[in-house]
Amino acid sequence: MNLSYSISVIKLSAIMYFIACLQFGYAAYTQTITYTAKNESLEAVLQAIKKQVSYEVLGTTDILINKDPVSIVVKNMPLPAFLDKILSPRKITYRIVDRTIILEQMRTNPATTLPQRAETHTQRTRSGRVLRSDGTSLSGASISINGKTATVADADGRFTLPAMVLGQSFTVTMVGYIPKTISVQENKFSYTIQLEEEVAHVDEVVVTGYQVIKRDSYTGTAITKTGEELRQVSPQNLLQAVQVFDPSFKLLDNNLAGSNPNALPNINVRGASSLPSGSGEILRRDNVTGTTNMPAFILDGYEVTVQKVLDLDMTRIETVTLLKDAAATAIYGSRAANGVMVITTKTPKEGKLRVSYTHETNVNLPDLSEYNLLNAAEKLEYERLAGLFDGTLQRQPQETLDELYYQKRANVLGGVDTYWLSQPVRTAVGQRHGLFLEGGSPVFRYGVDMRYQTRPGVMKGSDRNQYSGGLNFSYNLKNKIRFQNELAITVVNGHESPYGSFSQYARMNPYYRMADDNGNIIQRVDTWRRVAASGQGTNEYVLNPLYNATLNSFETLGYTEVMNNLSGDFDLGGGLRLRGQVSLMKRMHTGDDFRSPLANQFFNYPTERTNEKGSYTSYSNNELFWDANIRLNWLKRIGQHDFNVVAGTNIRTENLDERSFTAIGFPNDRFTSIGFARGYAENASPSSNYIASRLFGAFMSTNYSFDNRYLLDATVRADGSSKFGSNNRVAPFWSIGAGWNIHHESWFDNSVINQLRLRATTGLTGSVQFSPYMSRTTYTYEQGNWYSSGIGAIVNNFGNENLSWQKTQNTDIGFDMGLFNDRIMLSPRFYYRKTNDLLSDISLPTSTGFVSYKENLGDIENEGIEINTNLIAVKNTDWTVSFMANLVHNTNKIVRISNALNGYNDRVDDAQQTDGLRGVPLLRFKEGQSVDAIYAAPSLGIDPENGREVFVKRDGSLSYIWDPRDIDVVGVATPKIEGSFGGTFRYKQFMAVVFFQARLGGDMYNQTLVDRVENADPRYNVDRRVLEEKWRAPGDVTFFKSIQDQGQTEVSSRFVMPDNLLTLQSVFLSYELQHSLAKKLSLSNLRLGLTANDLLRFSSVEVERGINYPFARSISFSLQASL
Amino acid sequence: MKNTIIYILLLSTFGLVSCSKWLDIQPESEIDRSILFSTEAGFKEALLGIYTRCSKTDLYGRELTVGTPEVLVQNYQISSADNYRYLPTKNYRYNDADFIRRKDSIWVGLYNGIVNANLILEEIDEQQRLFTGNNYHIIKGESLALRGYLHFDALRMFAPAYRIAPEAEAIPYVTSYSNRTTPMTSVRGALDSIVNDLELAKELLADDPIRSAAYIINYPTASDTLQHTELHSPDLFLQNRRHRLNYYAVCGALARVYLYKEDKEKALENALIIINAKKFPWTNATDFLAVADDKKDRILYKELLFSWYTPTLNNALNSNWFTATQHGMYLENTDAQAIYETSDISGDRRYTQWFAVASANNSFFSSIIKYRRNPLGDTFIANLHYLVAPAIRLSEMYYIAAECTFETNPTRALEYVDEVRNNRGIDHKLQVTSLAEFQTELLKEYRKEMFAEGQLFYAYKRLHAPIIGLRGETIPVSQQIFVWPLPNDEIIYGQR
Repeated sequence: MNLSYSISVIKLSAIMYFIACLQFGYAAYTQTITYTAKNESLEAVLQAIKKQVSYEVLGTTDILINKDPVSIVVKNMPLPAFLDKILSPRKITYRIVDRTIILEQMRTNPATTLPQRAETHTQRTRSGRVLRSDGTSLSGASISINGKTATVADADGRFTLPAMVLGQSFTVTMVGYIPKTISVQENKFSYTIQLEEEVAHVDEVVVTGYQVIKRDSYTGTAITKTGEELRQVSPQNLLQAVQVFDPSFKLLDNNLAGSNPNALPNINVRGASSLPSGSGEILRRDNVTGTTNMPAFILDGYEVTVQKVLDLDMTRIETVTLLKDAAATAIYGSRAANGVMVITTKTPKEGKLRVSYTHETNVNLPDLSEYNLLNAAEKLEYERLAGLFDGTLQRQPQETLDELYYQKRANVLGGVDTYWLSQPVRTAVGQRHGLFLEGGSPVFRYGVDMRYQTRPGVMKGSDRNQYSGGLNFSYNLKNKIRFQNELAITVVNGHESPYGSFSQYARMNPYYRMADDNGNIIQRVDTWRRVAASGQGTNEYVLNPLYNATLNSFETLGYTEVMNNLSGDFDLGGGLRLRGQVSLMKRMHTGDDFRSPLANQFFNYPTERTNEKGSYTSYSNNELFWDANIRLNWLKRIGQHDFNVVAGTNIRTENLDERSFTAIGFPNDRFTSIGFARGYAENASPSSNYIASRLFGAFMSTNYSFDNRYLLDATVRADGSSKFGSNNRVAPFWSIGAGWNIHHESWFDNSVINQLRLRATTGLTGSVQFSPYMSRTTYTYEQGNWYSSGIGAIVNNFGNENLSWQKTQNTDIGFDMGLFNDRIMLSPRFYYRKTNDLLSDISLPTSTGFVSYKENLGDIENEGIEINTNLIAVKNTDWTVSFMANLVHNTNKIVRISNALNGYNDRVDDAQQTDGLRGVPLLRFKEGQSVDAIYAAPSLGIDPENGREVFVKRDGSLSYIWDPRDIDVVGVATPKIEGSFGGTFRYKQFMAVVFFQARLGGDMYNQTLVDRVENADPRYNVDRRVLEEKWRAPGDVTFFKSIQDQGQTEVSSRFVMPDNLLTLQSVFLSYELQHSLAKKLSLSNLRLGLTANDLLRFSSVEVERGINYPFARSISFSLQASL
Repeated sequence: MKNTIIYILLLSTFGLVSCSKWLDIQPESEIDRSILFSTEAGFKEALLGIYTRCSKTDLYGRELTVGTPEVLVQNYQISSADNYRYLPTKNYRYNDADFIRRKDSIWVGLYNGIVNANLILEEIDEQQRLFTGNNYHIIKGESLALRGYLHFDALRMFAPAYRIAPEAEAIPYVTSYSNRTTPMTSVRGALDSIVNDLELAKELLADDPIRSAAYIINYPTASDTLQHTELHSPDLFLQNRRHRLNYYAVCGALARVYLYKEDKEKALENALIIINAKKFPWTNATDFLAVADDKKDRILYKELLFSWYTPTLNNALNSNWFTATQHGMYLENTDAQAIYETSDISGDRRYTQWFAVASANNSFFSSIIKYRRNPLGDTFIANLHYLVAPAIRLSEMYYIAAECTFETNPTRALEYVDEVRNNRGIDHKLQVTSLAEFQTELLKEYRKEMFAEGQLFYAYKRLHAPIIGLRGETIPVSQQIFVWPLPNDEIIYGQR
């Protein structure tokens, strides 16, 4: 490495910044020089000296230009003396810091040495201080006048300027901060300049995880948001927040799990691109649990699971970038088909020790507004009307039923009206405390963070608590060599509510009492006798779900995670940087589920099974992930050509080792340790699962622009995965994108449109979200069932060695337009995604020995439009008012499916006729239809004559009889338009941010009407509409069938309703203390915030939400303080 | 710096080269085919896997032994509650969903067993060097025998009888592991292939340890360890030969197949190998009649040439299928008496040992206790023998011999039948005057001897004789009854 080289590097960055602490290296005096030169250039001399003392020399090259040549003879002269000798005559000053000689142009009027000369009346030195936006001093900023560096701010951020002419201006620049230019004022001699961090303008770059690209020259589609913006929307759920900024990133509703803090969400980006495959189970629309459409999550360069993202400390997030089209994602190859979310966390900043504290208090309130149940008197009346006390209908003696009725009536009249719904829920208050320490020199920086966070759920006893701690060290030698190591330990503990499923409370009759007169919870609150037509009677016990909560049952789950991430970055010169990263993550999950022997689920055990009551399931899962990459980045401007190229490889291994076993038979409720179990369940054996997969990829990606007008992005990647069949080990992926910055064309001169960029991209990405061993023929041992002469192994599957990844061809066209100096931004996009080679089951003639095997067959299409708009209405020092809106329209179509899915559809026909599924629209897949299509029998509604439902048969005729063969598409759940809109308002230190989310034009199958109105069992509590809106007498025009008809209502188009929704997703209010005030509290900054989520909700469908766990509204109060 | 780049390039090149191997991960909870077939133990396990597979309830563990074929020959009463949904099957309603489901899974199960055998047969010759002792011959022989045996049962269910339509399209005879459809063969073609496989198996099993004089057939509970020779081999794999397709079992299967193919000479030849070997002793009356459960042999264990080992199915058989209630399969007292002709023939021990009078709702009926175990548990001390599903028994060889000799030597033929009757406690000699009468009597003997063993249905089908119901009603011969329809998946996806 030679001097000119290092100098040019510095020139490249066009600024100099030095270490502020002026510890003069004592070592420098002991270094001596022996040197002889005659008419050598100054550069050559320095070069020679550098070699002798092995010091680095830093400075801008212009210092060395036009200097007199050096002629000198010295022997054993101390280094400083030597430097004085050669530099002083050439008007160069120097400093020695560590083992580096820093050269500076000698100031013509150094204020410190010649203060008296500043006293002239028109020209006088001016001093100043550079501060960060939070008020702390910023050292090392360079201050330039007319483009030439005049001085550099010292450790306290202070600087002194040479005398300047009135009206002249100086510019303060610092890497990572927005430059500021200040005009010199007549009578102002001291300036305080606050630099804002560039992070606020994160919009200007795109972080792909392997590369940082200027947004201006990028053709891919990426949405980038800062952690701050996301926290304003939802301080607790990152994914929820991202959804607001990009409705194409869609969290699927989970009506069963509601706001359970322990439930994992299901996500798809730009529509579903794969089908549920594998097991023969029948899928319910409201309970899709597969994760086949999940995007890939990249955290600080390595891939993580969705669980890690949910458990992340949101205050540590710097930015989140969502990559969607092929040009943006192709660099991730086989993991990219469903989009990639790149998350970066904050790195420590240099400076004095800085302590930040964040606090958050979350209040979660259960949202029971969608439940509309009968009260005690109404319920009993409904039972009477439904004929429960009619001796003939019930085949029981009338006097018994009369007695039963009057007993219940006595309860009602006695004032019993229990509101069961409120029993298992609570207002949950959680908190988070975060402490972050950071500081250090530009060479060595450190950060330490700690977090304690409780997240109680609205069901009593359920929670998910997180504790984490991390250390972050970075070493940066003048931007040439950088190392960073991050170590983080996270502990997550969750509890499921001992109150059990919320649905149990919704069905309890309000005329039941919870407790006896002494306040003890009753276990058995009622008994219903059912007598079948054959005369056989059975007793059905109504058990109090609250009873379970009085026991010592528990269900805990959680994990401990250790993560270390080491990265390095070396400057190879010529714009080349070599970067590498190794990360290791180990996560140990445990789960314990103890059910007390007294629990309701064992109530009906016969006496001989008494010793089998109580169970304990122990679960453990050890996960180990290795992820490493090495890459070469080349960033260079040659004339008008800008290159940003990355090439590299990455490697990843995943190991998962799961075990679980269940012990049964507990002596009593007190002994909750697994050691007290009597034994294992009959024929049960421990279960285990070991999954390993490996991925290796090599990639190259180029971002090129010509004169910032013509843009080109091209990426190729080859992936090898252990999941592919042995005949298809390596998969190629690619993308290409082109763009045109019209606003940079010389002929484009428009006062309205200041930015106009066209872009189009296309490419091929893949996904391999399938079990690693599907491509092999494997055998399973019959461990629990030895043959008399040894253990046997049976073949599992027909291993398809040609199995390959799903391929998604993604084409994206759009433009970005900025109007009135970017006050209005508009970026519409059109996309078309076709996924080929869907992995699906192919039916075989069963004489092959197998029912089906896996093959790449089937295509799905998604196409849609996304529009993002921003409007900055007002922006000045006191006020900011801005609005944003985005919307997406997506249509999804199955182009081709395999014959096995036809077989699946036949099975669904059968399943549709089994108990429990008759009234549920099941998932079916047909060519030409959407994955989201709702299948049910077309219905004309209820015949007012007799209260029976009229169905339309395939041939158009009408019938009272429901037939599964009439089932057809009756609606599509995908909304026509989905989006969010909101605004940001700031007045001085006050800020308010509001976001709404809306969807329009989709269909929803109202399961509540089926399960809780039509098919409702009158013995249990039901939706109010049962009593009020059912058919009673001929001539009644009603939506619901006859009140006396207790037959099963089958899946029918009657329950398909237009699904339009508007929610007030979030309201955020904040106040930031003025610096002067904060100072008085000896703080550098203090900010208070309040966020409310899911406050209002307007839906066109009245449906019970949160079946097993209620939904919650939440309000969070936050405080951020820094010392 | 240049060097660094070179190193990186070298490293990545090396990475790419060794990549393919690195990406080859062996599953841990399952085992890859290539790994399994790289050791002798793996071959043994794969072979035993076929037996385990076939011993499950969808095949010989229940369905094909005490299930559908027995229901079809009207061997059970089923209450109108029909807990196991076999009433439509009993009435030959082959479009009933439950029948279709069971029949389809029988087909899938049999062919799954076959593909397991084919996987072994595809690998074994190349790996011959792996084997010690006689194991190569045993494993290959048994795999071939299983392939033939399972195909034969598929043929007996899903194709017309040879006697009626030898050239009719029958079943695919699958001999390879592939996802391609194997074309259908005729009944004759299938039988030829079956015979081929079984004959080859017979040759390979010529040195089967069961043929050695030291291998003495006895109960596993025999107290004298010298007598305990079925468990005597130090190699677990060579124990209990009668739970696998041993040499004699293959001869028995061949006798069955030849008889089905109306090759009486060959059938007799194979039946006589077993009869003359005197390997399989008749069950002592004292063991059959013993009162104490742990001294009792209900299944006539020593007479079994081949049986499927099903130790875990005690509950499936005795708590669900046959119970002392009318929830499962049972008989009226008069039905059981009719089967064993107790009014004419006295002393039949099978009637007293296999049926127990039980009562429910104040009425009496016969509960079927042929598979009843000592309630102590599933271990073999529960009875004199293991819980097994009988597959081929000695008495069937006598019946085959009788059928093959009747036309040439009726006296000898009747002697064969009488020897079985004699050993069941009947001294009344069988008397017939015509072939037709002989057939009728023989079918009665099949029903008595192999009650709830799943063989009678095939005998009716082979002889093309009308099935006689429990109350004497005759079900007319019909191809619709004797030939089960192929599974829909087979027709659709195999384009049959």
